[in-house]
Amino acid sequence: MRMTLAVAVLLALLPLGLPPYAMTLLTEALIMGLFAMSLDLMVGYARLISFGHAAAYGLGAYTCGNILLHTDIPLPLAVPMAGVFSGFIGIGIAWVCTQATGVSFSMLTLALAQLLYAVAFKWTSVTGASDGLAGIPRRPGPFGTTYFSTKIGFYYLTMACLFGSFLFARALVRSPFGAVLRGIRENEAKTLSLGYNTRLYKIAVVAASYILGGLAGALYAPFAGFANTELLFWLLSGQVLIMVIVGGTGTLVGPILGAAFFLLVQQQLSTYTDSWALFFGVIFIAFVLFAPEGILGLARRRRSVRSH
Amino acid sequence: MDVLPFLVTQCLNALSQAALLFFLGCGLTLIFGIMRIVNFAHGAFFMLGAYVGWSAVHWTGNFWVALVAAPILVGGFGAAFELGILRRLYGRDGHAFLMVTFGLTLVMGEAIRLLWGVEALQVQMPVSLSDIVFILDEPFPIYRLFLAGSGVVVAIVIWQFLERTRLGLLIRATSQNAEMVHALGTDVRLVRSAVFGIGCGLAGIGGVFAAPMVTASLGMAPNAVIDTFVIVIIGGMGSFLGSMIGALLVAFVQVFGSYFFPDFAMAFMYLIMLTILVVRPGGLLGKEA
Amino acid sequence: MALLELQGLTKRYGGIVAVDNVTMSVEPGEVRAVIGPNGAGKTSLFHLITGVVKPTMGEIVFDGQRVTAMPAFSRCQLGMSRTFQITALFPEMSARENTRLAAQARDKQRWRPLGGGAVFAEASRRGDAALERLGLSHVAERQAGLLSHGDQRLLEVAMALAQQPRLLLMDEPTQGLSVEETAQAVEVLGGLFAGGGLTVLLVEHDMEVVFRLASKMTVLHRGSVIADGDPATVKADPVVQDAYLGGYT
Repeated sequence: MRMTLAVAVLLALLPLGLPPYAMTLLTEALIMGLFAMSLDLMVGYARLISFGHAAAYGLGAYTCGNILLHTDIPLPLAVPMAGVFSGFIGIGIAWVCTQATGVSFSMLTLALAQLLYAVAFKWTSVTGASDGLAGIPRRPGPFGTTYFSTKIGFYYLTMACLFGSFLFARALVRSPFGAVLRGIRENEAKTLSLGYNTRLYKIAVVAASYILGGLAGALYAPFAGFANTELLFWLLSGQVLIMVIVGGTGTLVGPILGAAFFLLVQQQLSTYTDSWALFFGVIFIAFVLFAPEGILGLARRRRSVRSH
Repeated sequence: MDVLPFLVTQCLNALSQAALLFFLGCGLTLIFGIMRIVNFAHGAFFMLGAYVGWSAVHWTGNFWVALVAAPILVGGFGAAFELGILRRLYGRDGHAFLMVTFGLTLVMGEAIRLLWGVEALQVQMPVSLSDIVFILDEPFPIYRLFLAGSGVVVAIVIWQFLERTRLGLLIRATSQNAEMVHALGTDVRLVRSAVFGIGCGLAGIGGVFAAPMVTASLGMAPNAVIDTFVIVIIGGMGSFLGSMIGALLVAFVQVFGSYFFPDFAMAFMYLIMLTILVVRPGGLLGKEA
Repeated sequence: MALLELQGLTKRYGGIVAVDNVTMSVEPGEVRAVIGPNGAGKTSLFHLITGVVKPTMGEIVFDGQRVTAMPAFSRCQLGMSRTFQITALFPEMSARENTRLAAQARDKQRWRPLGGGAVFAEASRRGDAALERLGLSHVAERQAGLLSHGDQRLLEVAMALAQQPRLLLMDEPTQGLSVEETAQAVEVLGGLFAGGGLTVLLVEHDMEVVFRLASKMTVLHRGSVIADGDPATVKADPVVQDAYLGGYT
């Protein structure tokens, strides 16, 4: 708790000393961090490996974009609304995908996300098809304040979403519900035989994951000012899975670090080469091979070795 | 337009499409059946086959060279990947394989972009196959007939290979009891490398076959891998016959679906897959999951 | 009234009849063993009772309620707890966390997504009590996957007990244990059953274990019941002897 508070204070003070471009990067890192953390709820706590988590992000982004474009609902309200909507769709997606387990589950998540991607290409009136939604505004309010439309205000809004979500996710995994999830992760058949309706728990955690992932997408739309089909594409699903694995599954904090690491390296590499994704693929393979516990796991192992 | 010629040509279309899907599906199911590995990079190997095929045609001007060279190169690369990387993962849970091959998909996609560029590449059909025949007065490309025929030939060859040859016997034995095969003096690890190579090589052949019809492009990998998984999930993981049935089913749905309901063809495919998953979670011919 | 009743239970796989018209019951307070030579249908019968597979024909009644079509997890909620033939635990959790998660399943608020301190406290109390009953308190904090074979077996029993079951179902409780471990497990289980208050149905092929633990026996042969009664009577039954000896000739 003290650690969380310290990080919060640090992140809150950062805008005072950072140049604008760094602020932009930091805001994006927080959004991506939220997205990766949301996937960790599924991957790290219930071993539900999703290859289609871009669906949550894209749903949030398109929903928030439409709300902001077509209504007067202020930004700080539109974002959670989009998250909740994404969660609702997530229930449906989870209902379908949990018909299967293991690898088939993963493939179903990918298939459904690609289906949404295909729908987004056809449904011009809602998604703008291949042009996407452009000029998404940051509607002022509530109570007429324009603070959240500013760069710093938007940063604080993002930060609040990330911390709120983190505290929620942490409470979730430490609750009785979270204990059942860990049971599913370690031995689903046994959890079922103890009298838990494991499928319902899985659907619930996917829904929670979609709410938070949708929240991240909902922040991205007004952050970038646009939403396009890239946000639903399988490549994004892959990237976020990499962030989670590289950061360290089942830690919540790890994936946030993984996302920051990913963006930072992308930023640095892309000034030298436009094929940074190649390096990422290699880094990812190396992590799965040699350090499946991720950056955070490595750090913890190092520390425990030293203390012994 | 008359109904009968229409039906016949569309069915032939679907058969040629099924042949392509079968090359993909049977490779994946072969690898899964024997190694219990789900190869996410299968679509990437398919794509690699198409690009290698393009280069071979580009340099030699001969499609038949491409048809031989591509599967060998792609299969060799697959076997090398098994030797160098996958081998280190035996004993870990199935997700590790899924994630490593996923990483490989990213790497291959980028590497292909660097080597061949972002433009889609048109592969020339051999002149002898680029003509059109009339079936019941409907024009139909010879190439598609050739493709459908090749699918049948490859299916028979694989079946005979598994049934009749020593390596085929070893492969089947390994899938049932790897330890016993090992104890009898065969290096199971080599069998595994060979199987992974053969599976990837089949995807490579599919890529070469597909290239003249759809061009070699960077979007091939994800589309192919999704189609492949749909087939294998429908047919049952690890079932050779199942992948054939799955390929036929999906091909017919794709061809007729995109003719009658162009906007919903893909949704149909998923609907079938979901229905089958609900009714028979292990797929049509798979063991009940 | 019987706690568990099987009425004409039949399971066919294709042409093979694994369980053939089995009618039997378990009275409250008894420790009943289902025995039989290999292939007699013990495991299939166990799967039918626990809800892993559905019967082709017949009914299963638990405490006056038909449960034939009920999924496994709902049967468990009615008070049927089971152990597996191959030990099933949560290997990366501590022994305490294992029993706690088992006990939590009996709590109405087991799914609470936030807070839940009281749920954990109550579940821990029951879980710890179960560990103590099986003499596992000294390994409570140890990771379950690192316990000895015998202790893992007992931990699984402790998990079932932590659920305060009305019927405890055990699938070959000594399967895969060494001679010493088996002796130790029989000792602990014998003490547990002698304490009374438990109703147990166990499937076992090790006759010595059965005679040490069971108060009633049902003998299966080729899917059918061929004998039923207390151990001494069953042991003397010529039909049973024939079936067992027949299995070896």
